[in-house]
Amino acid sequence: MAMAEVSVIEVAAVEARSARVALPSWRTPWVIVPLLLAALLLMALLALMQGPVPLSLDHVMQSLWHGMLGEPVQGPNDWVIRELRLPRVLLALLVGAGLAVAGVATQGVFRNPLADPGLIGASSGAALAAVAVIVLKDTWLQEWSQLTGPLALPVAAFLGGLAVTVLMYRLGTWGGQTHIATLLLAGVAINVLAGAATGVLTYMADDQQLRTMTFWSMGSLAYGKWDEIQVLGLLIGLPMLLCLRLARPLNALLMGENVANHLGFDVQHTKCWLLGMAALMVGAGVAVAGMIGFIGLVVPHLLRLMIGPDHRLLLPLSALAGGLLLLVADTLARTWMPPSDLPVGLMMALIGGPVFLLLLMQQVRGKG
Amino acid sequence: MLVAQELSYRIGNRYLLQPLNLVVQPGERVALLGANGAGKSTLLSCISGDVSHYGGQIWMASHDLARCPRAYRAQHLAVMPQKVELAFPFTAHQVVLMGRAPHGDEKTTRHWQQQVMELTQVWHLRDRSYSRLSGGEQQRVQLARVLLQIWDATSDQADGEYYLLLDECTSALDPAHQHTVMNAVSQLCQHRIGILAVMHDVALAASWADRVMLLKDGRMIASGSVDLLTSSALMEQCYDLPEELAWQYARSNQNWLDSRRA
Repeated sequence: MAMAEVSVIEVAAVEARSARVALPSWRTPWVIVPLLLAALLLMALLALMQGPVPLSLDHVMQSLWHGMLGEPVQGPNDWVIRELRLPRVLLALLVGAGLAVAGVATQGVFRNPLADPGLIGASSGAALAAVAVIVLKDTWLQEWSQLTGPLALPVAAFLGGLAVTVLMYRLGTWGGQTHIATLLLAGVAINVLAGAATGVLTYMADDQQLRTMTFWSMGSLAYGKWDEIQVLGLLIGLPMLLCLRLARPLNALLMGENVANHLGFDVQHTKCWLLGMAALMVGAGVAVAGMIGFIGLVVPHLLRLMIGPDHRLLLPLSALAGGLLLLVADTLARTWMPPSDLPVGLMMALIGGPVFLLLLMQQVRGKG
Repeated sequence: MLVAQELSYRIGNRYLLQPLNLVVQPGERVALLGANGAGKSTLLSCISGDVSHYGGQIWMASHDLARCPRAYRAQHLAVMPQKVELAFPFTAHQVVLMGRAPHGDEKTTRHWQQQVMELTQVWHLRDRSYSRLSGGEQQRVQLARVLLQIWDATSDQADGEYYLLLDECTSALDPAHQHTVMNAVSQLCQHRIGILAVMHDVALAASWADRVMLLKDGRMIASGSVDLLTSSALMEQCYDLPEELAWQYARSNQNWLDSRRA
């Protein structure tokens, strides 16, 4: 009896061990990339079909086909798909991809999985600038809003994000070296300051402005139109390509700045580019879609657990997974309580919060 | 030749390194010794390019290191730091692979990767997560990485001179591994790689080096053959040792030298 028990335990142990060895097989890029692409395609079709007006797959395919041929919009269904849902799907993919890649870049530069663009203050800088434009556009910032017209908000948000990132970089870098602890603490301070300034502006705002601000600061993809998507495609697409090209130095940076230097990489140059591009992607995203958190934190973290930290894979896969995640969140936000359109930032927090807590627990217990 | 001319380094008005001269010939093993804070690591970080605002000049073959292209320097000069911590969990093999980054030929050098990892006895750890290895295992993985970086020197693709800088690379190793690793490193000298090693362990230096340099308070107090280590007066001066202890060290160094020559 005792012998039998022992052998059962042994068999279980052997099985457990072989299962652990076998696990990485599905983690290769050859499996994950097609899976992600398929999921993206499916989710995009689903998002085009779902909504207050449910549409069939036939309708969707037909509209897409017409759209590709450049034919004029025919009927309300065609219009819903081509002018409402398709831009919104593309916006979700772009903003999600940009935020995720920006997260990978800043986490790599700061060598810390918690170094999200939100953490170094880029997001709150962008938010503060946008709120300032909303509240002060008829008083102190009149000239600015006249000068930039309808682009006042997006341009201000981008400049705010960039300004904070540059300031943070100046604060945290001297003698040619970035001091991570200083930088992270300065990020905390900047977040507090930006929060306070936003709070003061809230008190100055009237009712209408408050409503715009609240909606915008919770994040929403509802304002995605083709014009914005074209601009965003450029502002997020180009920096993303540049980040992809910096995958190798980013890998070397994980071993420390000195080692990356010994391996022949120009460390300061690489860091400047990565942080600048991250600020651009975050600023552009915040400008169009408001504050959407957790993507830059959760997506890279999850992917690292699956495929490891090699940035040559991690960067492109983060772009795919970030787009997918925001698309899922936005589709849920649109369809959960129809006809109301929940802010996607709230939805992301609902999805991202628990996932992040779970990851933290795993890390603390030594499984991560 | 790796040459430092009138090399000095100061922060404000305080000299961490007084002007000194240094030469490492191809295929030579030079140990850099001195008490804590004597300037050994500062000297090494000037040569490795971690600090750039040093005084004097450093030449590798005919290249001024301050002006030579980054890629060329990385392909010919490898640096083994004291400790490397990884922000995210690469496998040991991925870490070693990084040594080919300056050359961009990770895919075509599989046999070299296995060779260096077997040399430093980490081939069996290749799929393990670097962060979960012991301190000694991590050091051996890092050594494999820096060896791979200049492994061209051992092949017929060798082009120019190659140098290796070691910064107390055996500090986390047990005596058996210390000697295995230093013997492995010594094999490089047959391929005319020059090695400059900061060493903490005087006995290990005596058992390994061709030449030694002794630093004290940022000043070079002696430089020459490894036989210098058998002088108890020098031991006493360099490490501020009591006479009796200095004599003990000198004698043990003599033993190491005798056993090497036997």
